This record gives sequence, structure tokens and C-alpha cells, in this order.
Amino acid sequence: MINLRDVSYCRLGTRDLEGAIVFTTEILGLEIAERHKKAVYFRSDARTHTLCYFEGDPADQAVAFEVAAAADLDQAGAELERLGHSVRRGTAQECELRKVRDMVAFRDPTGNPIELVVRPEYSGRRYFAPRDAGITGFSHVGLCTTDPRRDEQFWTRVCNARVSDRIGDAPLLRIDEVHHTIALFPTDRAGIQHINHQVESADDIQRSYRFLRERQVDIVFGPGRHPTSSAKFLYFQGPDGMVFEYSSGVRSIADELLYRERQFPFEPKGFCQWGAKPKIAEFRS
Amino acid sequence: MISVEQLRYVRLGTPDLERAVAFARRIVGLELVGQDDDQAWFRSDYRDHTLVFVAGDPADQTLGIEVRDPASLESARADLEAAGLVVMAGDEAGRRARKVKDYISFISPGGLRIDLVLRPLHSGWRYFPTRDAGITGFHGVAIRSTDIKGDERLWTAVLSGLVSDWVGEAAYIRTDDRHHRISLHPSTTGGLLEVQFEIEGLDQLMQNAYWLRAAQWKLLHGPGRQPASGQIFLTFQGVDDMAFSYVAEGDRFAPDQPQRLPRQFAHARSSFCSWSSECAMIEYAAEGEPT
Repeated sequence: MINLRDVSYCRLGTRDLEGAIVFTTEILGLEIAERHKKAVYFRSDARTHTLCYFEGDPADQAVAFEVAAAADLDQAGAELERLGHSVRRGTAQECELRKVRDMVAFRDPTGNPIELVVRPEYSGRRYFAPRDAGITGFSHVGLCTTDPRRDEQFWTRVCNARVSDRIGDAPLLRIDEVHHTIALFPTDRAGIQHINHQVESADDIQRSYRFLRERQVDIVFGPGRHPTSSAKFLYFQGPDGMVFEYSSGVRSIADELLYRERQFPFEPKGFCQWGAKPKIAEFRS
Repeated sequence: MISVEQLRYVRLGTPDLERAVAFARRIVGLELVGQDDDQAWFRSDYRDHTLVFVAGDPADQTLGIEVRDPASLESARADLEAAGLVVMAGDEAGRRARKVKDYISFISPGGLRIDLVLRPLHSGWRYFPTRDAGITGFHGVAIRSTDIKGDERLWTAVLSGLVSDWVGEAAYIRTDDRHHRISLHPSTTGGLLEVQFEIEGLDQLMQNAYWLRAAQWKLLHGPGRQPASGQIFLTFQGVDDMAFSYVAEGDRFAPDQPQRLPRQFAHARSSFCSWSSECAMIEYAAEGEPT
């Protein structure tokens, strides 16, 4: 069993690094942690970075999850190889680029690049936002799946995720008390489907809605409220078609024994209890 | 000093009673409790009715306020006359239409007709809405005033309200533990600006926003949050130029707590909404600001 402890960062390739910087700082509201010639690191919370844009192919993406120790990496690597995944130990240089002590990289059954990392770096200095979006931290990712049943099995049997709810066949998966840290959405490709940051309150969601609209950012869903996690949300389009989400008030699942996942319909009302209708391809049947 | 027990009703003239009835039921979601050729009564809570549409001139708008007992009504008459206002005694037809034991009526310095009523009807039957807008009751009104200072004096020196905050010259007046039940706004005509119904919370507010948009109903302000009161609101077009609002949340003034001084906010769009929602109401938008 691969014990995922937290989601650490996303890495996104882009052909327009300058454009990505403008979006990430001025629209999304993340702080630039480090700026290199071919990569920029962004902060959203106490960690040194939770998002990295690098010069490259936009299809080149990765999501990293923290595991407890290097021994977990050895075990995970062996387990994944036994299941037929090709596993690669990160080089010293790769670890340095990711600001982690050790790592392995593999692809999940759909082909999403996943990194397991040990001791991702925290910053001594607090996160200072370039705009007051109210961000409290990077919180979860939506991943594409070409076979939701197979991938649910992978994340829940090979890894330690539990199903919190399902919207149609799309499972929302938790690895701790937060309602979901990974969500799988059926589609015909691999890749990160959306990247979520938590914001302080529903007021922040509403203020950002106006802020983004005034700047003609393409709002693809919301403001709304998920009946699953009870979080208030807003989804909008970033560079290279990536969808970003702000949400607030995500449900916490304290009682693992008593909690039972629920089935929601794969239609707008399964995604929003206020009546918003998604323009996101993976949220539409 | 006249003690305001509670706000009871709003009576609105309309040239098209059928259209107004359809609006109150289908759009606002109120319960129709009675209708004759001239008027229609609507319930929103434990009160028999809180909104009445009356066939007639849309400029004919009245706010009904309950006072405690016959002695209060008598002393109110004296107080109002002492303040230089002309007080009209209620007649039998008026009492029947208002479903009250007795009432007096006057016009505020800023041009709004106000009834002071005695023993208004309470409903033994619970409120049963037409649609699930989440209404919990009649909350209050926003008032247009041609004499803002005179109206503020009326509400504070004669009607025993307290100013909670000002936005420019506009005043939020409280008559109970809520931040305000009444807001006064400078205007070129006197009357009502908004009729407000309280709803359960944020979920209902946003559901109503999507519902009204889907019905292609015109939103005038919000969904938003009022910085002074902390109230969330959604204001939409009524019939005959009257605005209707759903409100929820908001600050309370505990009666046993020391009362803070009213605060002065700038007359700017940002003082009327902290979510910077779209606003089509000139009373809430500073001049020269982009809409």
C-alpha cells in the first residue's frame, strides 16, 4: 500500500512562460517564490512551492504526492513495478528542481505522470499574496481518467485513497480528513483536469467572481456550491486550457468508520446545488 | 417618543393587479392569502400578511408599523402633530383593508405614507410558500426620501429608532436587535425603494440568483454583501419600478451590550457591496463611478 500523505505540487509545461507568470500572479494570486530562466515556482501556503510552470510542452504535466520516508519510496517502487508500471527514481538534479529530498516518478493507469516525494521543502517565511484572493493553500487536483473503475481501484487499492462520494462514475477521493484531494473525471485523455486552491470564505469566491469577470477571464463554472463536499466554488480557465478552482468550506470527514460515500447524478445538479451549469467538458455528459 | 413594535406590511398601488399577483407568487414566492377586486394580500411569515398590492396609482405606497396599545396610538398622534405632521385617523374601510383594529396615517417629511396600526391580524396557519425561495419573513424596507434630514429625525427622535451606520447621507435605522430594518436614501421622489424579505441563508440567496437569471428576470443589485450590516442581499426588479430583495445573515445588536457609535461610510459603490456586484440602482452608486 502506497501511503499518500498530502498533495505537494503540480508541474506544468508551457510555451509561454511570461503569460503563465502574468496569469498566476495577477489573476490566480500566487506569490513568485523563485524565478529561473526556464522555470518559475509559485507559493500558495507555508510550503516553498506548490506550483511550477516550466518552459516546455503543455502536455508535460505532473502531480506530486508526499510520502513519509525514503523507505516508502522503495516499497512503492517495488509494488508499482510488480503491477507493471515503469518506475523511475529521481536523480539528484531532479530532486533539487522539485525541492524534495527523494522521489520516484511513474504513470497511473490512465497515463497521468505522478511523483512520490519525500520531505518537500517548507518556507520559513509566510506566503504573501500579490492580490487579495484569500488563498489559504493548494488543496486538490482533478485528474483525467480513461477508465474510472480501473483508476478508482488503483488509487484505493494500490494507494491509500478512500472514496468520499461519486458523481456518476467520477470518484472524489480522500487521503486524509479533507473530503477530497484527488478527483477522477472520465475523459479520453491523460492530464491534470483542474487545480484547486482553497480560499478563506464564500466572500472571497464572490469577490473573485467579480474580479475575474472584470478582467474577462473565462469563468467556466460557478459561483456555486458542491452538494458533495459542501464547498463553495468558482472555476476559471488558465493558460493552455488548464482549469483552476477556488473553493471554500470543504467538508471534513472525521469518522472513517461511520462515513459512507454517496452517489450523485452526473448532471449539473450533481455538481452544483445553487443552479450553476458547468462549461467544463469533463463535467458534462 | 413612539415605540415601534415591528414592521407589519407594505401596501403598494399597481395599475395591473393581476400582473402584480403573478409576480408576488411566481417570482417572489409569497403565499396569496386573499384577493378581491381591489387588492391582494400576501403572507411571508407568522403575520397574516406583509405585502398588499392595491389596484391604483403605483406612487401610492404605504409602510405599516405596529404600536403597542391604544394609549401608544393616542400619544403617537400627539407626538406626530407636535413634530408638525398632519395625522389622519383611520376609517372603517381602511381598517378592513389593513386587517387591524385601529390605525392612524401620516406622510413622512421625505414623502412616504406611514400607518401606525393596532392589533394587526396574526396568522394561526403557518406560511406556505408558492415556490421554495427560502423566505423566513418580511425583513424591512429601503426608503427614498426627499428630505433625508427630516426623515432621519422622524425615525430617531419621533419613532425611537437608532442610526446604526451612514453611507454618505443615507442612514441605516434599527428598531430592534437587527443592524437595520429601515434604510433612508436621498432621492428626488418620496416613497419605497426596496421591499426586503429575509431568507434562510447563502444557499437560498445563490439559488434564487440562478433561478431569477434562468427566468430572465432583471437583477438590480447583487448577489452581494452589505459592508455596513454584513447582510447578504439579492435585489431584483419588482412591478411598477419597485425593487424587491432577499436578505440573510447580518450583524445583530445584543440589547444588553454597550451600543457602539454609528459609523460613517463613504458614498461609494464599494460601501454598498463588498463583493463589488453589478448595480443598476442609482441610489447605491456614487456619481461618476463606472457601472
